[in-house]
Amino acid sequence: MTESFVCGDHGALVSYLYDECAAGERRAIGAHVAICSFCAEELATLGATREQLRAWTPPDVQLGFRIVSDAAPSKVLRPSRWWQQPMPAWAQAAAAALIFATGLSLGILRGVMPTAVQPEAVRPRSAAAVASAAPVTHAELAALEQRLRSEVSHPAAVTESTSASADEARILQRVRAMIDDSEQRQQHELALRAAEMMRDVDAQRSDDMARVERTLGQMDGTTGVEVAQQRQLLNYLMRVSQRGQ
Amino acid sequence: MTFTDDELVARSIGGDAESFNQLILRWERPIYALAYRVIGREEDARDVCQETFLRAFRALPGFKGQAKFSSWLYRIALNLCRDWIRRQRRAPMMQLPEGVDAGELLAETGPSESIEDLVGRRQLSAVVEEAMTLLPEEQRTAIILKEYHGMTFQEIADMQGCPLSTVKTRLYQGLTVLRRHLEKNGHPSTPLGVARVKSRAS
Repeated sequence: MTESFVCGDHGALVSYLYDECAAGERRAIGAHVAICSFCAEELATLGATREQLRAWTPPDVQLGFRIVSDAAPSKVLRPSRWWQQPMPAWAQAAAAALIFATGLSLGILRGVMPTAVQPEAVRPRSAAAVASAAPVTHAELAALEQRLRSEVSHPAAVTESTSASADEARILQRVRAMIDDSEQRQQHELALRAAEMMRDVDAQRSDDMARVERTLGQMDGTTGVEVAQQRQLLNYLMRVSQRGQ
Repeated sequence: MTFTDDELVARSIGGDAESFNQLILRWERPIYALAYRVIGREEDARDVCQETFLRAFRALPGFKGQAKFSSWLYRIALNLCRDWIRRQRRAPMMQLPEGVDAGELLAETGPSESIEDLVGRRQLSAVVEEAMTLLPEEQRTAIILKEYHGMTFQEIADMQGCPLSTVKTRLYQGLTVLRRHLEKNGHPSTPLGVARVKSRAS
């Protein structure tokens, strides 16, 4: 630091004012101020201004910030993905029909339901048509030949009609069972979706309640401050009125 | 047991949130006062104060102790204030206190201070606050850091990223503007007296 001072060096005066200068510089400025009225007055008024600045105080507010460790992840409900959203009833019905049709086709392909392979064959619902749709084996052909012979020999016999109706009943029973199975699956699916919806609603409600509680807490804090201010005001008025008496 | 800032910082980095809360308790008032004086709005100053500690907490693992924790906090707060001022795009501290609230005054009354003194101090406070709005941001910040937070010239220079001489110039110019405004508004600087200054110097 320099040990000499040039009159009007504001930077050096500020250092002197805040007492942040080296001893040599301080001595030099001090010696100058002792003989220079201009610099002495400058220092005096700046010092007085500094004192006036002390009057400026920020308002007294309630702070009390705290960092709260977030142990449990907040249950923030985000919009669910399209594949997570509940399916409309019509779509569920269409899906059930598609599944049913697929199952039926697979059954037919595996030979479980031979009569349903060709719709044309099903429509007449005749015993002959039903029989013709089945895979033909040598034994069946032999049995058919024997039956035809017996029919020719005994025209009044009605054995075939009873066997055909038994086949139809069996098929109907199987279809009914598949439909029942499909309905059960749909009901199960609906129950699952309903449970999911209930869980989501419950989580949303919990979040809302927590938010309401937080807001109420803040309102309580604000009201407390207002009550304290009112009390201070009343005390002040009491004191002033007492002083007046 | 009272821990130093450095100890509390180390414990906070180790995952002790309560230690950081102690740091908050220690520094929230000065940070709030700084924010309030720079931006001049109570609610916004509170937000800046809260955001300062939130940012500090998030950035704590990256704090290597190159500077004092308080200086680091002040720097974060000042950056946030600067962002706030940029966002506002208008002169800060335009909301001046409306009149004098008796309740507030009473709450501030010291044992040796009369109501009249207190009213005078509040009026002077309002004029100072108004005068501060006239200063450019750099001058205002320099004066606030020096007058109300007791920083050294070097600390302010580091904080503002400018040479030491610039800090002194900003302080001198800022004080001069404040003095003129106070005089114009009925609060003349009542100097210690040239004679006193001279005698103190000699």
